[in-house]
Amino acid sequence: MTGREAAAQRRALVCVAPTVVALGALTVYPGIWVLWLSLQRRIPIFDVSRFAGFENYAFLAIDPRFWSAARTTAVFTLGSVALEVVLGVAVALAIHAQARGRKVALSLLLLAWAMPAVVGAKLFEWLYHPSAGLINVALGRHAINWLGDPGVALPAVILADVWRTMPFVAILCYARLLAIPADVYEAAQVDGAGRLATLTRITLPLLGRILLLAVLFRTLDALRAFDIMFVLTGGGPAGTTETLTVYAYRALFQTLQLGFGSAVSVVVFALVMAVAWAYLRLLRTNTVAA
Amino acid sequence: MRALADTAVVLALVAYAIPFFWQLLTSFKPEAELLRVPPLLPSRLTFSHYQVVFSKSLMPRALGNSLGIATLTTVLSLAAGIPAAYAVARLPLPGKRLLLLAIVASTAFPQIATVSPLYLLMRALELRDTWAGLILVHASFALPLTIWLLAGFVREIPLEAEEAASVDGAGLVATFRWVVIPLLAPGLASTALLTFLFSWNEFLFAYTFTVSEASRTIPVALALFPGVFEVPWGDIAAASMLASLPPVVIVIALQRFLVRGLVAGAVKE
Amino acid sequence: MIARRSAWALGLVAWLLALGGCGAGHERGPVTLVFKYARILGNADPLPELLRAFEAAHPRVRVKGEALPWASDDQHQFYVINLEGRSPGFDVMMLDCIWVPEFARAGWLLDLTSQLGPDELAPYFPSAVASATYDGRVWALPWNFNVGLLYYRTDLLAKYGLRPPETYEEMVEQIRRIRAGERDPALDGYVWQGKQYEGLVVNVLEAFWANDTTLMAENESVFPEPARAADALKFLRGLITTGVSPAWTTAADEELSRRAFGDGHAIFLRNWPYAMDLFEAPGSAVRGKVAFAPLPGRVRGAPGVGSTGGAHLGVSARSRYPELALALARHLTSERAQRAIALGAALSPTRQALYRDRDLVRERPAMPRLQALALAGRPRPVTPYYLLLSATVQPEFSAALVGVKSPERAIADAGARLAYFLQAVR
Repeated sequence: MTGREAAAQRRALVCVAPTVVALGALTVYPGIWVLWLSLQRRIPIFDVSRFAGFENYAFLAIDPRFWSAARTTAVFTLGSVALEVVLGVAVALAIHAQARGRKVALSLLLLAWAMPAVVGAKLFEWLYHPSAGLINVALGRHAINWLGDPGVALPAVILADVWRTMPFVAILCYARLLAIPADVYEAAQVDGAGRLATLTRITLPLLGRILLLAVLFRTLDALRAFDIMFVLTGGGPAGTTETLTVYAYRALFQTLQLGFGSAVSVVVFALVMAVAWAYLRLLRTNTVAA
Repeated sequence: MRALADTAVVLALVAYAIPFFWQLLTSFKPEAELLRVPPLLPSRLTFSHYQVVFSKSLMPRALGNSLGIATLTTVLSLAAGIPAAYAVARLPLPGKRLLLLAIVASTAFPQIATVSPLYLLMRALELRDTWAGLILVHASFALPLTIWLLAGFVREIPLEAEEAASVDGAGLVATFRWVVIPLLAPGLASTALLTFLFSWNEFLFAYTFTVSEASRTIPVALALFPGVFEVPWGDIAAASMLASLPPVVIVIALQRFLVRGLVAGAVKE
Repeated sequence: MIARRSAWALGLVAWLLALGGCGAGHERGPVTLVFKYARILGNADPLPELLRAFEAAHPRVRVKGEALPWASDDQHQFYVINLEGRSPGFDVMMLDCIWVPEFARAGWLLDLTSQLGPDELAPYFPSAVASATYDGRVWALPWNFNVGLLYYRTDLLAKYGLRPPETYEEMVEQIRRIRAGERDPALDGYVWQGKQYEGLVVNVLEAFWANDTTLMAENESVFPEPARAADALKFLRGLITTGVSPAWTTAADEELSRRAFGDGHAIFLRNWPYAMDLFEAPGSAVRGKVAFAPLPGRVRGAPGVGSTGGAHLGVSARSRYPELALALARHLTSERAQRAIALGAALSPTRQALYRDRDLVRERPAMPRLQALALAGRPRPVTPYYLLLSATVQPEFSAALVGVKSPERAIADAGARLAYFLQAVR
């Protein structure tokens, strides 16, 4: 290694030093700490602090509330992502086909995405109000107990989440559509392809990779989702909207069971990382094949 | 024909944004008419809810907190992220692959996993209820995405531009300052925008680490909006509008940067 | 040159920052006490005036009132996160009576025992004092009092020649008769609180007590008679499935149920005393048509027991001005203050003498009856584990009420979870 190269390496290290320190102290270190906490029974209020091995995990394995939360998380994630992708692609195509008014359309779309999740939750809490909410007023006699009926609460939360995050998927697809050169479509037209064929044989495949990325981001976000169900329903009714994140938070801060709550958090952690890893593998093989 | 379709699309999106407009209307509806629907439209508009929010609630102070924390988070994140992104994209870095892996893994990190140890850490460092504590946590969560995005933007800068500068006798710092940064500007704007939004909207850590109006941010103030026994829907609507105003304005005004930023991390490898 | 000037500037900034930080410690200016409470409902909020009166009596002291979130569970979570996080934030705290043993156990409250006079607590309700006591020491001053009541429509009952029911079976029968006679599809029978929150535990406990069982026995065993507990839950679920109570009961809290009754859409309501003032307010649809009675029992002759509740005022153990904070708490629980609060707001005092106070009785003639019911009330389990109990059983009770789980399963699951969690703390 020449002196110049060594100097360049030193410079590089200096450049990343703050990042490494920050990530190490505030992400990696707590990541290890939470693993350690999960192996303990730690309840500050009662001065309980002892090593407990895998007790917490053993309890989770047979805990019906944990499995219910896991199911809820799965349903929320799948439902949310599926709806967002379908709607997002449709909206992106619609805006892309527009000759005029794109900026207005995008602005309206971004309105939903820009606001904090908490605001979105309050918005929908008001919409879902049993007597004064816009939705039940529109339904009149067939009013539904949106946030109180266990069968309807989770779809209601999913709807609220999709409303706020679909624009993200739509804008990603829209930007990708912008990048497709016009001559691709011209060539298709020359070849005599109809609208549907153009859509399925050309547009959607070209959107493929970005859709995969959108699905990756949105799946990870949905697995980690907390704000919307915490503020909208608090996990109720009867725990039907309690995802793993809400369960972990309640265990941690409602009753200060830091050990048990950390165990649930670690499960979320492992789940998210596993999904991320699986998607990245998929992306890599996709790239290689493409 | 096309014009008709265009209008239809716009109208459909107006319908999509109805929850927002309904909340806007609610914020101006008199208290007595809130729960008596139909009729949907109010008989008169009132500013009373906004008055309550501005004079009797914690929202104005929370607005200041959010602005300060989000801005400083963005500044800190960029300050640490720009050199790191440059190093990742351009410089020979020992252990680059490991670092990249750590950065990518960090973007997937669930916040719930670290909230309990960070809570204990903040308590030990007595950083609870301070701007500093929240800024540090926000910046460290925003950093991986910042580096990922900026690295992509840095790679877009033609190498010749930098080489030309060094041929002219400029040192590394000068090259950085006069060549790289200006070319990076649009990417910086996108990244800054996304970081600002992330910090503004962040709820979990803000809820756990803020105690009083000294550091409470807007999402927390809204979630903890005090009612008595019953929920003050009109006041909450007004507070919601206040809470969404800055991000909505910024996002709509800087639309094209947003699109660029969202795409940059996605389209580039 | 440039480097030196920047160093100067940096030094100046650092010095200013340090100064700013140090300055906060030397309090030579006015003292600010922070009082955290939930906003009080009522015609006139008497609190600001009371706080100003305190400030007038203590020059150089400012009292800053800060509002808590509106639900008891959210308030608890707020306190837990911040008191455990060792934030000095507050001096005087409004506490739901169920939290006092827990907070005392955690070391967050100032022990007031040595500061109180020998008979200072005598004027209060004994059960209020009991819930402010833990481990033989006093940790808070009782502020306002609550007891579960059965509200009923006097006009409807009179129309059919009925007296307030003494048992639940009687109530169900009365509802059937009245609804058959009134033929009003919008008239509900019995509304109560079935949403998944602390209020649900109160309602279920009252059903447990009526069924001669409880949540936690004297010896701290949980669900001592699981079969009776499941039976009580089954009864509550039955109220919903048979239509005696509307379907939205599972999402109802105090206010939702109060509004339904107050709009004339229900015959019976289970709620706290505060509701009476709202029913008697001018413009109320049920003005003059409401009275309250003890909750029904399950067996004739054994009256139902209402759950007691209410708020206490505690002093933070980390308060910088403990004597002033205690003075503020005393000021707010004094006879004068409690009378003002009872007159201006819909909260019932904890001082027994006020229930026979001339001014109060003139404004609210039902006060003496309320006192009798309050004395007969029963507290929720007074234990530092109460919140752990409540947080664990809430989802299970809710699951039984909405029909997601059978009542037996719900009780069994709740028992198993509690066993695991309590095992750690015992």
